[in-house]
Formats: sequence, structure tokens, C-alpha cells
Amino acid sequence: MRLFWELTKISFQRHLTYRAATVAGLVTNFFFGILRAAIFVALYDLQTEVEGITLQGAITYAALGQALIGYLCMFSWFELMNTVYTGDIASDLLKPMNYFSFWMAQDLGRAAVNFLLRGIIVMIGYAFIFDLVWPRGAAQIIAVAVSLVLGWLVSFSWRFLINLTSFWTPNARGILRFFFVLSWFFSGFLMPLRFFPEWVLRISYLMPFPHMFNTVIEIYLGVLVGPEMILALLNQVLWILSLILAGQIVLRLGVRRLVILGG
Amino acid sequence: MLEIYRRLIGVQIRGQMQYRFSFFMELAGTALITLLEYASLALVFARFETLKGWSLGQVAFLFGLAELSFGIMDMFFSGFDPSFFGLQVRRGFFDQLLLRPLNITLQVIGSEFTLRRIGKIVVGIGIFIAALNMNPVDWTPLKILLTSLVVVSQVAFFGGLFIIGATITFWTVESIEVVNIFTYGGSYMISHPMHIFPNFLRYFFTFIIPAIFLNYYPALYILDLPDPFDMPAIAPFLAPVAGLWMLTLALAFWRFGIRHYQSTGT
Repeated sequence: MRLFWELTKISFQRHLTYRAATVAGLVTNFFFGILRAAIFVALYDLQTEVEGITLQGAITYAALGQALIGYLCMFSWFELMNTVYTGDIASDLLKPMNYFSFWMAQDLGRAAVNFLLRGIIVMIGYAFIFDLVWPRGAAQIIAVAVSLVLGWLVSFSWRFLINLTSFWTPNARGILRFFFVLSWFFSGFLMPLRFFPEWVLRISYLMPFPHMFNTVIEIYLGVLVGPEMILALLNQVLWILSLILAGQIVLRLGVRRLVILGG
Repeated sequence: MLEIYRRLIGVQIRGQMQYRFSFFMELAGTALITLLEYASLALVFARFETLKGWSLGQVAFLFGLAELSFGIMDMFFSGFDPSFFGLQVRRGFFDQLLLRPLNITLQVIGSEFTLRRIGKIVVGIGIFIAALNMNPVDWTPLKILLTSLVVVSQVAFFGGLFIIGATITFWTVESIEVVNIFTYGGSYMISHPMHIFPNFLRYFFTFIIPAIFLNYYPALYILDLPDPFDMPAIAPFLAPVAGLWMLTLALAFWRFGIRHYQSTGT
């Protein structure tokens, strides 16, 4: 466990140093968030509430999406794949630490930096421009926090799993990119899932993606409350456990046939 | 010149075809991005009905045109894609190109050709056709000419922005993410009716970066919609001017950049 936190700390410090990239990213986050908020204003036009989400809620959703891109690593994550292709994985597998935890510790550091430097700052920034929805009361704040952590766990265990495809094929990048694109839509990142027709919702919930993002925002916006909310949180946990289990099985199969050419 | 370009591109395409499975995955990926982005808007129209007065067919018209044009641009100008070009500068590949007795602009544009963008182009065309089905257009020869000019102008315009972004990396080495606001952000904006955006953004993309003339104004004319901003009647026909202006400006900046280029020493 001490090793885990050490790795997290090192990763945290490493990601802290990318300051220029963070500032540039913030500018882009603001720009796209404002565009997306404008699209909601235009869609709502005279309606005040659609599917339980008010216009103010939809604008908050646009801000949250931009705030969480970095934290949830929405666009791409090829780090594990790259170590397979460079051969660094050989030494990583020899480390006196579970391979999943080894990456999880590092990703936790990355997620923490992104949450603080991009997540929080983006939300504060948007609060100056728009009238946002904020969680009310201790219970909701705790639920949002728990759901955020679970969302990251779903995201990480899923990213770990799909990166393992690089054990089998030298072309994992294309496959991973394809999966990430699917995740933008089905996680509710492009549009809150409840705005879609029923059949799209049903397909989405067959996949892990809604549990990374959509659940978090529905709890944040107060759309999911009471027993429904508890069920959603439990669902997140269930997905995390299944994804971790799948990851371990696939890893074991993969290591057996992994050929490291080195470089 | 053209023969050399053809050969440079030929090498690129053959190279990409070596990893056929990977190529088709990436092709499917780029097609899927465009399709899902459109779907995320189209599927919620049932709940909202209009986008500030615009029907889905009208929005799809903008969306299809913008996506297919950006796809074509991204395929032909990928050598100038700032994130790709920045890497070339950093690794010293660009210095190698400078040593060859060939036009440098030609070499850069021939240094990468992302065939997988065909995925985006095909979906863009599909959305455009769907738009015409939902919202029939009274075609006149002028409207047909204008539509084809719109595509060419957008390619020139965003190609110019790519060149500017690439040139900036001479000084910054890293590609700067802010450039994405103008390229991907600009393209995202013109995929939607411009009257939905806040004034300061619209003014910026009218008077400083004249993107409003690339898609929105031509669409107003082709779809017979009134102009909410009372621009002069010539506004729908300014797309080629905006495209040419951006590309000329970019090439001038590019030449200036090359003259002052000092390598990174790697």
C-alpha cells in the first residue's frame, strides 16, 4: 500500500509540471463549453424543463463535461499500450506490485491533478459566466463525491482493459480510438442520455460508459435521488468489479502469450 | 510538381495500407465520430423541435457541408496539422526536408496524407444528402455553383488555419492547443446556425476570423432564409473571398516563418 501511494505521489508531481498544457487546455475547455451552452440555450428556446433537466441544469451539464474531460481521460489513453510497444512493460511486470494497482496508482495521481487544476478551475470559471446549479446539502455533496470517485474507477478499469488489446495486436491504437469514440456518445458526454429516445438509453446501459459520466451528472443535477440514486451508485460498483475481474482474466491470458521484442 | 506530389502521396497511402486492419479501424473511428456527433443533435430534436427556429433539416445542411469540407481539408492538409507538424519540427524531420532540393511547401503537404479521413467525408456527404431530403432546396444554377464554392472555400480557409498553426510551432516547438479553437472550434461553430451564439463570439468569427461567411451566409441564401443581421446582400457570396484571404495570409506567414526558422538542434 505504501508503494501505491508513493507511485500516486510521483505521478501527481509529474502531472503538476505540465503547466503550459494545463493553461492551454483551460482556454479550450472554456471555448467549447460556451459553444455547447449556447446550443442548449437555442434548443430550449421557450421550454423551461425537459426530461427533468432545466436550462440552468443543461448549462451546468455543459460546464461539467468540460471540467471532467481531463479527470476522466475522455479523449484518449494509450499509456499502457505504449509500454507494450516500447518494451517497458517487461520491467513493469517484474515490479513487486500487482500490475493493475501499478497503473491505478499512477492514474490516480493524474486524475487528482486534472480534478484540481482543470475540474475545479473550470467550474469556478463558468460560475463567473453562468448561473450554475450546485449540489444542495451534505447528502447530495457526498453522493456526488462518491459517484465521481466511482466514475473514475469505471473509467480507469475500462481503459486498462481495452489497452490490453495491445498484447495481441500491433494495431491497438485504431481499436482504442474506436472505443473512445463510442464512449463519448454512450457516456452522455455529447448529450445527456435522458434527452435521447428510449432505445438509445437501453443500448447505452448495456455498456460501462454511462457509469463513468452520465450517472455523475444526473446525481449532481439532482435528477437521480433517493433509492434510484443508491441503485445507480451500486450499479457503478458492479461495473467496476466486473471490469476489474475482466481485466485480471484478460491480463493473465495476455501475459502468457506476450512476446517482448524490446528496443 | 504534380508528379512529385502524386508520388509523395502514393508512398503515404501504400504505407498506411500495410496495416490494413488498423487503417480500417481508424477509418471507422473517424466516420463514427462524425456520425455520433450528428446523432447526438439529431436524436434530441424530437424533444426540442427546433434549434432557435431552425429545423433539423436546416441544421443538417450546415453540419453536412462543414463536416465534409473539413474532412477533405484534413486529408489534404494533414502535413500541416499543427500537432503532426510540431512533432516533425521537434524530431528534426523538418530540417531533413529543408535540405532536399525541392519546394518545401510541396514536401510538407506531401509528408502526410490521412486517407482515413474519407470516413468523415463520406458521413458528411450522407448527412448533407439527408438534409436535402428533410428540407428540399429549390436548386438554381447559382445555388449549385455556390455550394461547390463553399466546399472549396472551407478547405482553403481551414487549410490556411492549419498552415498558420504549423508555422507557430517554429517558435513554440510544441503545437499549441489554443490553435484548436480556431480550427476544430471554428468548424464546430459553423456546423451550427451562427445566430445561436453569444454576440462577442459571433463578432469575432465575423470580423476577425470571417468564418460566418463560409457556411451560414451561403446556407441562408441556398435555403431561402432571411438574414437576421441585415448584412449587405453580397454576404452569401463572400465565402471564396474569406477562404482565399485566409490561405493567402497563411502562406505569407509560412514564408516568413521559414525565413526565420532556426531549428531545434535535434
